[in-house]
Amino acid sequence: MNFIKRGFLGITRKKGKSLILLAVIFILGNLISGAISIQQATGNVETNIKDRLGTAATLELDHEAVEDLSEEEWLEIENIDIDLIKQIGALSYVKYFDYNTSTYLGSESIESYQGEETEDEVVMMGPSMDFKLNGINYAPVIDFEEQKGKLVDGRVFTQDEVDNGTSVAIISTKLAEKNDLNIGDTFTLENAVYTYDEETGEEDVVTSRDVVLEVIGLFEPQSIKEDIEVDSDTGMIDWMDIEYQNTVYVPNEIVASENRYHMEEYMKEDEEFAKMMEEEGDSFEYYTPMFYLNSPEDSEAFEEEVAPLLPEFYTVINATDQYDSIAGPMESMSKLAKYVLLVAVIATVLITGLVVLLFLRDRKRELGIYLSLGERRIRVVGQILIEVMVVAVIGITLSLFSGNLLAGQVSDMMMKANENQDEYYEEYIYFGDTQIDLTTEDVIDSYEVNLNSSYVLGFYGIGLLTILISTVIPLIYIVRLNPKKILM
Amino acid sequence: MILEAKDLNYYYQDGEQRRYILKDTSVSFEKGKFYTILGQSGSGKTTLLSLLSALDSPHSGEVLFNEEDIKKIGYEKYRRNNVGIIFQSYNLIPTFTAVENVLVPMTITENEIPEDAKTVAYNLLDYIGIVKSKADRFVNKLSGGEQQRVAIARALATNVELILADEPTGNLDEEMEQEIIDIFKKLAHEHGKCVIVVTHSNEIALQSDQAFHLRKGALSSYE
Repeated sequence: MNFIKRGFLGITRKKGKSLILLAVIFILGNLISGAISIQQATGNVETNIKDRLGTAATLELDHEAVEDLSEEEWLEIENIDIDLIKQIGALSYVKYFDYNTSTYLGSESIESYQGEETEDEVVMMGPSMDFKLNGINYAPVIDFEEQKGKLVDGRVFTQDEVDNGTSVAIISTKLAEKNDLNIGDTFTLENAVYTYDEETGEEDVVTSRDVVLEVIGLFEPQSIKEDIEVDSDTGMIDWMDIEYQNTVYVPNEIVASENRYHMEEYMKEDEEFAKMMEEEGDSFEYYTPMFYLNSPEDSEAFEEEVAPLLPEFYTVINATDQYDSIAGPMESMSKLAKYVLLVAVIATVLITGLVVLLFLRDRKRELGIYLSLGERRIRVVGQILIEVMVVAVIGITLSLFSGNLLAGQVSDMMMKANENQDEYYEEYIYFGDTQIDLTTEDVIDSYEVNLNSSYVLGFYGIGLLTILISTVIPLIYIVRLNPKKILM
Repeated sequence: MILEAKDLNYYYQDGEQRRYILKDTSVSFEKGKFYTILGQSGSGKTTLLSLLSALDSPHSGEVLFNEEDIKKIGYEKYRRNNVGIIFQSYNLIPTFTAVENVLVPMTITENEIPEDAKTVAYNLLDYIGIVKSKADRFVNKLSGGEQQRVAIARALATNVELILADEPTGNLDEEMEQEIIDIFKKLAHEHGKCVIVVTHSNEIALQSDQAFHLRKGALSSYE
């Protein structure tokens, strides 16, 4: 008849009271369990979505800061120079980085890819510049590292080719197939300079030069959904797919050289423009930096460290910043769960504390008897704790499942209600050159209330600790009395 | 000398005044004797018993068990190993059977208890007059006299030499009272225990080996 056995006998011999305590813990446990389930599920969504959004970061003009600037002030805004990009790229948060410049060129010798179904419907207006010459400085090509595209044949650039601006290119397999191009073949693009007659609206080729490139690699797009049906919603994806299929990766220097040629030739034709450009001393070179961080969690620290290095009016844009714009329903759910958890824990401490206090008042004499027989106070406390905690474990285990189930139902209802209200969030996200095909629907789909080890441990931890506190406090009040005060 | 109280003082603080319940009270008890302490209600009998049984502590003075201060032994340990206490209102655990009540102190004490504790408990109850069929009943299904017998068996369960009882027959009829007193006399005279009973009954006092009278906090021999 030691204190452990007495504890278990206390449960079975006082079935009514044990059941009342079980019911109280079960009901309150459902609240705690539900709140923890929702919190964990929203937390997981944030992690998952931020992982899907990726770790990209770029430097852009702060549109809010520049919208009120005068034309003169606009012209004074500095470009981000390459040294600064390299300095930022050397920070410990950065996994790899690149800076890109691009231009659009046409061609008379090869045809652009125009999609599978819409090929016959394309009506060309004006000069065709279907090919996007995409300059890179990171030889292994970041788009391939980040699974936007996948190199399926040939090779990526060498650092020498990038540094020297060698005329080599990586094109898409569809573009290659359409023009019977293979690794080692060359193809020619045309850098044409046009003039525009404002009166007639006609454009005339003034001059042009050929850009001959050798195919060293073939890629296939990876991240754009190719299997979805063409409708009004997916039209944008198709357009982006076509543009990517017609993208030609080359070293930055190739693009810079063609841009220089274009501007110089154009200035020969337009003296007014030439004069303006000379006065401004513009270099025609502008690079878009793209940094990929080690983890989405580094975003804030990266932003804090980079912000002071930037010229005026520039800001850091992180891919994970987009989370806030699509996670409206999730945020409200997370907040609600936090408050419910707080209220549930406080209510559990108070209600369980009161119930235990009422039970202990009835058993005060019994505790006094144990003390009069010389039982150690710690064992008297232990006996009552066993009685309460065994019932609590049963109640918590039951509410673990039911609370989880309840949380799933409640959050489904809330999500659907939010979904109907927030049509605004049904948009695709564009980040720099990268399109992230992620919608609020994806966020909601990735919300899943389930039983995982951290939830189970978290719930047992919070639940049992709450009940432990609410039991020990009234117990201490009783066992600190001497037996005479209790019994005589 | 098994138990000795020396210059015990116990009082209640009433504002700035002290209301003494016991004042410089000294008394000693021997093994093999049945003692009674008489006194009117509020005379301090129960207080004296609670100090002798370490349910409470005196403001000054000391209680010696086998010439060792019970404070040094430790009140809890003293109650656990050296003394059996019987209360007027039995103080049994209502959700336990009679035999389970007797088993409780056997798991608390550090005294040597035979392995077959349950058999010992049944035998003890049988010796006190509770047969096995009644020993397995919940105590609230027993009569007052039977409950007090269970309480006596519980006090004896740890094989202690000192039995202290506070008005043990206060709730019993005369016939039952005599049966309980006979048990106490038997424990003292046949088993060598020191039995100290607090009572207001002259009849019980007359049957004891020595009776003390407690009046205004002072103890005197009762003739």
